[in-house]
Amino acid sequence: MNSATSVASETLSQLESARALALSDAAYYNQIVPGVLPIIGAGANASLELRRWGADFLAETFASPTLGSEDKQRLSLQVLETLRENLETVDDTGVIKSVVQAAASIYPLVFRHILSNPNDVQNWQIMAAIKSNILRRMDSASPGIRICCIKFVQRVVQVETPGLIADPRRPEQNEISLALVPRDHPLIPPQNLEAEASGLLDRLLSILQEDTSDALLVTATLNSLGTLIRSRPSISNKIISTVLNFNPLKLANSPMTPKIKVMVKSMERTTRALLMNIIKKSPENPLNPRIHQYLERMHRMRLDVFDESNRKRPAPSEPTDGLDPAKRQRLGAEALSEPPSAIPPLPPGPVSFSQLFTLTRDEGAKNFDVQAIPSDLVVKILVPMLIRIDKGQMDNAINAVRARYLSLSKSQPRSAAEAAAIATGKAPLDEEDEYEPDYQPTEDTEQIINKLDNAPPEGLLPERVPDAPLAPFKLPQAPPLTEEQIEDYGGGTVRRVFGMMSTLDDSASRPKVPKPGFNRLAASSYDRDAWVTVISRLATRASTGLEAQPNIVKSEYKTVSRKGNFSISNTIREALFNYIMADWKRRIDVASSWLSEEWYNDRIQLEAMRAPAEDANGDGGNLPAPTLHYKKWILKLLDAILPYMDGKDKVMIRFLSEIPEVDRDVLDRVKKMARDPERVNLAIAVIHYLVLFRPPVREICLDALEDLWKNYDGAKTGSAKILTKWRPEVLQQEAMNGAHEDVKS
Amino acid sequence: MSADPRLARSRQQQPTTVPPPPPPPPPAAEAHPDSTKMAVDGTNDAQPQEGLVKDGFKLRFCTVCASNNNRSMESHLRLATASLPVISFGTGSLVRLPGPSITQPNVYSFNSTTYRAIHAELAHQNTALYTANGLLPMLARNLSIKSYPERFQDWVPGKPRLDHAADKGAPGTEAGVVDVVITCEERCFDAVLDHLLTKGGRLNRPVHVFNVDIRDNHEEALVGGRAILDLAVRLNECAARERERLGGEGWEAGGGRAREGFDERVPEILGEWQERWPGLPALWTLAWF
Repeated sequence: MNSATSVASETLSQLESARALALSDAAYYNQIVPGVLPIIGAGANASLELRRWGADFLAETFASPTLGSEDKQRLSLQVLETLRENLETVDDTGVIKSVVQAAASIYPLVFRHILSNPNDVQNWQIMAAIKSNILRRMDSASPGIRICCIKFVQRVVQVETPGLIADPRRPEQNEISLALVPRDHPLIPPQNLEAEASGLLDRLLSILQEDTSDALLVTATLNSLGTLIRSRPSISNKIISTVLNFNPLKLANSPMTPKIKVMVKSMERTTRALLMNIIKKSPENPLNPRIHQYLERMHRMRLDVFDESNRKRPAPSEPTDGLDPAKRQRLGAEALSEPPSAIPPLPPGPVSFSQLFTLTRDEGAKNFDVQAIPSDLVVKILVPMLIRIDKGQMDNAINAVRARYLSLSKSQPRSAAEAAAIATGKAPLDEEDEYEPDYQPTEDTEQIINKLDNAPPEGLLPERVPDAPLAPFKLPQAPPLTEEQIEDYGGGTVRRVFGMMSTLDDSASRPKVPKPGFNRLAASSYDRDAWVTVISRLATRASTGLEAQPNIVKSEYKTVSRKGNFSISNTIREALFNYIMADWKRRIDVASSWLSEEWYNDRIQLEAMRAPAEDANGDGGNLPAPTLHYKKWILKLLDAILPYMDGKDKVMIRFLSEIPEVDRDVLDRVKKMARDPERVNLAIAVIHYLVLFRPPVREICLDALEDLWKNYDGAKTGSAKILTKWRPEVLQQEAMNGAHEDVKS
Repeated sequence: MSADPRLARSRQQQPTTVPPPPPPPPPAAEAHPDSTKMAVDGTNDAQPQEGLVKDGFKLRFCTVCASNNNRSMESHLRLATASLPVISFGTGSLVRLPGPSITQPNVYSFNSTTYRAIHAELAHQNTALYTANGLLPMLARNLSIKSYPERFQDWVPGKPRLDHAADKGAPGTEAGVVDVVITCEERCFDAVLDHLLTKGGRLNRPVHVFNVDIRDNHEEALVGGRAILDLAVRLNECAARERERLGGEGWEAGGGRAREGFDERVPEILGEWQERWPGLPALWTLAWF
């Protein structure tokens, strides 16, 4: 015993060093594999350890990416017998697993060998024996072996389904598939292989369709399907449909032990990975929208299942009573045929609205299109018809349709899995049918799509609504603006308002409407005048009092230029000023109404200040004086306008007569005009008008005139005319002075 | 049969000189500092220690994170120290390490930039910063495990890895295949699955792919490494037990759980593990190389 063990371990270590050699250079496999076969192989009566090592080594050899496929193909024939013997005589999980893996790698190689050697019956028979041995194990062996069988079956399906032929002239370059098999091959007739592949594929897919709960088998299947979907277009639709009908969460119905949890998650995740891979690899696959739909649904269901807080019903719409839903569906449809009054049953499957309402069996009537009759005729026919109709018959018909509708709406919320089970025609009972060569997968797809269209939208179920309580949403407080930003944004606002006004300017040329007079409301018409009123009041009244700070009392003329203290009012004033100056002749009315507002506001301010001052027993001297704007802006406007004033312009006369207050400073500006010989007369005319029509300022106007007469040479004649009427004494005194001077000289 | 952990560790570092794979895996360490295996809740007392060291059959592991630097390397070290065969990868397009600011990561290419080179560059850039945030110590650890970060998608399973014989955990992985892949983030899990699906399983070899969600920082990586070791040890125990059964006798004779093989017990093992490590949500699937 002892010596036997030591011999065995010595052999093993020798084998290991041989393996190491092969790993370092794949070329050695060609010698080593035949060399080790007598030790590990058929008839060697080797120990289990050796058999395990041998099986592992063979699996490794034929999986190795470093060994060329020509070499592998040659070696594969040599090891066939060993594999078969191991399969048939050894009963060890490890050995069988490795042998099945090796067989999966070898199958395409032997297949290709048979392609070019159609008469090698012997090897093909051994391969067939291996295959049938593995297929037998597929349902009965331990799961560890079964997964390897699954992979083997996948390989066989891949080989025995037509693939793409890249280059027909060089078959050795092409992927091994049914497409390479000549139609008259004696050993492997393509029809038989195709049928076999179809059957095996069904067997593979049945793992997803059965009520299996073994995540190991399911994930092993799913993970092996990817390559079939990609490389075998003829069966990819069928596979994808089956995957889409697979519900990885159905185990969630059972109590959630840690193991079940792992399995459910595992199946869900693997399904997702496979579908994502399909979408990624073939972005224009027509099934992609359905895949997306499925993924979304699965996502919601997963949230449901794993959301511990409200898991009332673990998995939705899955039959728990074990009834075949397909059968239940048919029963429902048959029940419909019971209404006695010769009302035909609905056809099974999805029905259209017209089918739902069609009660007659008369084919001619069924095909009659009512739309062919003009509608006025229909109206004429309909009323007498409704009158004459038999009430019992009508009620019967309504009830029939109602019953149909009710049973339809009851039977529709079936799971997509069931829908597709019917659609794929996948009744497990008649497996023989699956071998029919004229099987058309496209029809299946269409049917499934129809079914799914009728399935209820799962997103509408109330349980899907997330738990999050709806709290009132509060916008976070915006960060405080910097002074520059305030200035910037404020200025922007003002510019927009003026932009509005300049568009209104254009329409100002429209025919004049009669002015509504004094009783009009200030800004009710939304024309330019209204805007002027709004703007000037915004400028004058909006922020009044807010900016009156003690430190600016004494420098009221400088508030605008004060840095860092943005005042919206002054910005508006600046803008108004600029607006007027841009076209002052036409906008002089704007100026006068604005200045009136300024003046009015100044008055109000003064009064407001005076009132508390009086209350405080005349102690108002300490109160801050309001910032007065009128004077500053009238002077600024005049300074700006006067240089452009034309000698014959009457605008000035009107302007000075309209503004609310004229004082000496204003008149000084006017007088300056008289320095210009061209405009002397205008200056005098302005003052004359004021003297005539503004009695309150007549005196200062006359003073101004007097000054003109005295100090402005060019104004002498013009002013003298007026002075003779209003202040003749000045002229006389002057005359006297003149006379006196004459006398003196 | 227990051995001195120090002895065991020194023995483990020997393989650096031997390129060809040793016939049987080296006599492995029995014991291992307890703190590394102790679960946070202390439930997994001493059991794993026995599993850790069993000589003979061993599952081969592969740890995967985004950059093959922090999480996968931490667990790589853990498993290698427990004398389990292990290799590691990253699934990112590039190796991304934190830089001076969040918008300036340090980026390196996989499979060519060595840990030593990265270490040198970061030390040159700002030794204080990268020592303080743990990058330099991490890289120093990594360069003692293997020479450079490897990208999962560039790995050819089944291609012999004899050139990695000096890596820690290399004994047993010479053939370039593993039995178990453990990712450290769902993104990586998805990337691994997607890649395997795209490759199409040409090797016909089953592989259990796990995800253990670990946040990408040093502390979590430590905890996650412990958890992954726990999982690996359990899986290995179970697989070794299946292997021990002689032929079909075990299969025929045993009943109940004893009849179950390794593969089908995986969900159960993971379920139990998840109970012990509730903070690290796990996923699993059986994929194909």
